Amino acid sequence: MKENSEQIIDKSLKLAVCFFIASAGLWLLAAAFFAYIASAKLTDPFFLSSFELFTYGKIKLAQANAFVYGWGGNSIFAVTLWVVARLAQAEARGKVLLLFAGSIWNLAITFGLLGILDGHMTPHEMLEMPVEVWPALFLSYGIIATLIIVVHRSRRIKDTIAPQWFLLASLLWFPMLFLIAWNGLEIDAARGTVQSVLSMWFGQNVIWLWLTPVALGSAYYIIPAILGRPIDKYYLAVFGFWCIASLAPWSVVHHLEGGPVPMWIPAIGTVMSIAMIFPIAVASTNFHATAFQDINKVWNSLPLRFVIFGTLSYTVSSYIGVVFSLPAVAKITQFSIINEFHFNQRVYGFFSMIIFGMVYHMLPRITGKEIAKSAKSFHFWTSAFGVLVLLLAYLIGGLTHGVLAQQPSLDWASSVISSVKPYFLITEFAFIILAFSQLVFVINVWKAIIPSPFELLNKLSLIKKGAT
Amino acid sequence: MTEDKDKFHGNENMTDEELVEIHSKLNVEKHPPTKGFLSAPLIFVFVFGCLIFVCSIQLAHSTNQFQLHPPTDVVDLTDEEKEALRIERKFESGKKIFALRCASCHQANGLGIPGQYPPLDGSKWATSDPALVSYIILNGLKGEIVVKGEVYGTSAAVNMAAVPITDREIANVTTYVRQAWGNNSSEISTDEVVQFRQDTSAKQEQWTGDELVEMFPAVFTN
Repeated sequence: MKENSEQIIDKSLKLAVCFFIASAGLWLLAAAFFAYIASAKLTDPFFLSSFELFTYGKIKLAQANAFVYGWGGNSIFAVTLWVVARLAQAEARGKVLLLFAGSIWNLAITFGLLGILDGHMTPHEMLEMPVEVWPALFLSYGIIATLIIVVHRSRRIKDTIAPQWFLLASLLWFPMLFLIAWNGLEIDAARGTVQSVLSMWFGQNVIWLWLTPVALGSAYYIIPAILGRPIDKYYLAVFGFWCIASLAPWSVVHHLEGGPVPMWIPAIGTVMSIAMIFPIAVASTNFHATAFQDINKVWNSLPLRFVIFGTLSYTVSSYIGVVFSLPAVAKITQFSIINEFHFNQRVYGFFSMIIFGMVYHMLPRITGKEIAKSAKSFHFWTSAFGVLVLLLAYLIGGLTHGVLAQQPSLDWASSVISSVKPYFLITEFAFIILAFSQLVFVINVWKAIIPSPFELLNKLSLIKKGAT
Repeated sequence: MTEDKDKFHGNENMTDEELVEIHSKLNVEKHPPTKGFLSAPLIFVFVFGCLIFVCSIQLAHSTNQFQLHPPTDVVDLTDEEKEALRIERKFESGKKIFALRCASCHQANGLGIPGQYPPLDGSKWATSDPALVSYIILNGLKGEIVVKGEVYGTSAAVNMAAVPITDREIANVTTYVRQAWGNNSSEISTDEVVQFRQDTSAKQEQWTGDELVEMFPAVFTN
């Protein structure tokens, strides 16, 4: 059988991409486990309270870090590597080095999470893993990123298109963010307010400049690839890209509204998050104008269904995010569980959904094994339901929390806590659903990646028969 | 078409190579040819123009001119209000100094301890001539004195030379003592205390009660 160029590329990527997807899946399960414990502790403070390991503060951080660096990092490597190689029509280089760097990345996160659970966290948002693991993480990231860029540099067509911009930009933005934050927080620690501004800036930008562009780039790739039609109003994409690049790092500081920082910082943040309407509008116009031309095909293709769910969720909740950045609204919602809504919307409702779609698109092409449609469908419906329930609970609960907390006459324990508690119960329920759905995803992915022992035995016996 | 039947390679409507080519071409051509007028760019320009307008208004109103510190509330006070505010601050400062340096003997309520430490509340020594109380703080006091008909000073003495105290602190604490509790005497200004310090600069020893009674006959005659 003659292989076409795409098959050759996929073959060269098989080992590395499978490794990254497999480890991403394990981290996803770990994060789901931590998320459940953390949410259960909010409804019942005595849950696992006799184990110091499961203190809320530790579990919550372990969840965020396992999710962003474990699941996020590994799946970003897999998706970026595959899409960049496919679009460049070039084979992967340095497979052993990729595996080596990938193992270091995962080992470092493992040690980092153990450090967090042991109480050795740093106080900086999304940099909570102990100081010692960061050089290893940075080094392995550097190796993987360099190898991906090498693939991109050897591309056949010199012009680049939207998915490449977003994926490669996020690849470069993360080390840039990290170096700025690491320099200002650890190497030459800034004093006073600057430190907390920097810490918060990094924590939010990891999501805005690292996870978000990867998800957007994947959507820019997968929608035209599956639908077979070019992106509608593609000329806007370049504008959207530069808007995100220039506005997003400014917009995140609106979270400091009312904080002990110079007034211009949250003011600029608010203005820039209003301006973020540009890139949000551009991306959603691009995606949805293309997708809704052939909505039947979108519905019938499960990977695309995941992706469009992600882009719709991106559009709707980014606009909600803009509203919540207005000072008048932020005053009420600032110190409520609305913050959970923002985080979970970004990482579950948007990033993860698109990555699920990408994995379902990539995996059959790489391994040649299709995942059962019923499993994918179950995963989609439970994920969609879980995410919606989770986000609605955090949104409505957050508003309730914020409004009640503004009234000093109310008794905190009897009125505020008791009215927010039902929403925590709902999120606990949602996290259980999400954990089940992710378990199904991971089992299926592993089944596709790891050859089944029976097949191996069959093959062995065939070889033996052939030999005799 | 279900994807189960899809072959995974080359059966899509668009291969990756085509995808790159088509979009690169779109990048150059800007948009597929349409007849007439493109409404979408106009709508975008209009919406984005409005957004930039809103953003600049917001920026102009809320950045506090990029100052480091938040704006202080400018309140116009009348002269009387300013004076009242000044007295109040002086009184508060004096109260702190008193609590720190005087209250251990004279007690927070200014009543002292009978037989040991003389009271300040209602005492002529504190409330009469501004110079008298300032002199005592500046140079100290030893020997026996009579306060409100009781004899004090056999066991204790005021010795302020041990702990330096500024003129401003003396002015604040004497003003506090003269106006706290039941006392209702005049304020002592820092300038006055500066003058008192100069007047007594030649004096090395602590005062004795008799010296002071001689120096301020008007206080003790009636």
